[in-house]
Amino acid sequence: MNHTTTAPVARPGTKAGQSNEFTLICGIKPGGAERMRKLLAGGFDGERQKNTDRIGTVHDLRFVIFDNDTRVIFASTFDGSWESYIDDFATIIPDEIDLLFHECTGYPGIHSPGIKDWIVSQQVTAVGFYSAYPDASVREVWKALRTQKAFDDLLDSAAS
Amino acid sequence: MDTKTDTSTFARDAVALDVSDIQATVLRPRPSPYRGEYVVLRIDDAVQGREMLRRIIPHVATANDWWEPTLPGWLGIAFTYQGLRALGVPQASLDSFPPEFREGMAARAFAINDLGGNAPSNWEYPFGTTDMHVALAIYARDDQSLELVLDRARQSHNDLPEVPVIYRMKFSELPGGRNPFGFKDGLHNPHVEGSGAPAHPGFGPSIKAGEFILGYPDELGETATSPQPDVLRRNGTFLAFRKFHTRVAAFREYLIEHASSAEEQELIAAKMVGRWRSGAPLVLSPEQDDATLGADAERNDIFSYANDMQGLKCPFSAHIRRVNPRDALSNDVAAVNLHHFLRRGTNYGPALPEGVVEDDGEERGGVFLFVGAHLRRQFEFVQSQWMTDGNFIGHAEEQDPIVGNAEGDGIFTIPKRPVRRRLHGLPQFVAVRGGEYCFMPGLRALRWLAGMDVENGEPNPLNRS
Repeated sequence: MNHTTTAPVARPGTKAGQSNEFTLICGIKPGGAERMRKLLAGGFDGERQKNTDRIGTVHDLRFVIFDNDTRVIFASTFDGSWESYIDDFATIIPDEIDLLFHECTGYPGIHSPGIKDWIVSQQVTAVGFYSAYPDASVREVWKALRTQKAFDDLLDSAAS
Repeated sequence: MDTKTDTSTFARDAVALDVSDIQATVLRPRPSPYRGEYVVLRIDDAVQGREMLRRIIPHVATANDWWEPTLPGWLGIAFTYQGLRALGVPQASLDSFPPEFREGMAARAFAINDLGGNAPSNWEYPFGTTDMHVALAIYARDDQSLELVLDRARQSHNDLPEVPVIYRMKFSELPGGRNPFGFKDGLHNPHVEGSGAPAHPGFGPSIKAGEFILGYPDELGETATSPQPDVLRRNGTFLAFRKFHTRVAAFREYLIEHASSAEEQELIAAKMVGRWRSGAPLVLSPEQDDATLGADAERNDIFSYANDMQGLKCPFSAHIRRVNPRDALSNDVAAVNLHHFLRRGTNYGPALPEGVVEDDGEERGGVFLFVGAHLRRQFEFVQSQWMTDGNFIGHAEEQDPIVGNAEGDGIFTIPKRPVRRRLHGLPQFVAVRGGEYCFMPGLRALRWLAGMDVENGEPNPLNRS
């Protein structure tokens, strides 16, 4: 019998348990570094925190501007596969995604059919990736923290 | 769904789709009761392959007469990537198909979690091989009609030695429209905008036709540009065919072991499915089955999860809540409208008699037939993210309790007050026997594939025999 031999397309990124590291290194548009600093100066509080929390799979993310404001590293750890969810992100939180990459040179926009290829083209695979809890998802960590708090509250009220 | 076509509510004016060019299988619910057969052909010679096509095209049923159920049965035809290649479709056109279709379902095993016992190395021939080229699906209301349509199909290739039949599989409805586990299923399908079909009462708005048929705008407002050329693409769609073997005895045995009464067995089974055996949804009837509700096509699919966001009626992990979450994910970043598809599934094999808990060795199960324009964001997304993963519902280690594949280590959480119940050690109740991605072209595209001249078309590159 002739088995299919077509190899699936390999994607960048390293996996630990169910966590994936996701690192993009992009050029920044002229003046973009200053605009990014201003935009992110408020941190991930309030609405921005709420919208990012809604994704429910992002452990952390950071932006590092370097090379005299000409390049940025966007680094993150997330659960599962960003590719599966990119259409959902584009539909539900397009502004948040545009916000992340708007100042990157060549960013085609979240609604562009070429968005995935662009992301992959900027992605650099880590040579080392460690996670202290590779099998715990963001949702499980949240749940564990809620459970522990409830349990502590129970112990506290039993002791009082 | 109740497949008796309601002719009284058919709105001819509402038809915005080119239904005379779309195959019946795409838009038309199968007859009930039904019997039928899947036939797989291999094309060893392109000229004979195109001759087979020319002969069979007049018998391919279109969707335009679906409100006139006068046909004895109907024939659908679809092609794998290897099949299109064997027919001599130009390379530029082959290359324009989406990568997952070109690779085939077996090569996508890593993306859809077909691992362990479900891995392609365990599939039946010809699934997962380059031999599978053309799939015929013949549906009929009785054996006599089936033989009639099968005979027409046979005449298209029985004197063509280079177009051999390599696989045949009969299917038929089980008594009461139940699946092998004993549940009424196939109760939900999205309503396709512009199809003119009576809107089956159910949750949610009509879905843009481009989600299911190429050539129309989809939910993102985009109209497909692949495959090329336009004449091949228009009014076509993609299929994901999957043959399952169901372990009914193991299902019954598991329920007996984990329940202390017959009522509790039924409750656990319903919690796994999300509906009772009659088809009554748990959300509407959380305590016990409601046969009247289950049988009422006007009511049995009208429900939302808005009043069950804790999963106390229908568990988050229940099969129907995973496959079609409706409004259950409204607080998450999930665009549910991008993950709908049409289902035209069938069952095969005899029912396991009531009360039997020993496997009788019979092959029985179902065929899942996905119909949709986007294999990756519809079939592969639902299969990988919602059915064989649980992170989206905060149960990362859980899979679908019915069709998941945890290799005997399945976990299933039933939310409950004051304490949830968690079942462990769920066996694999459903095993994949094989599957493949197919392209189901429109009628004009079939003529193009047969090398025939197509109106307004460019010179046909296949017309060189």
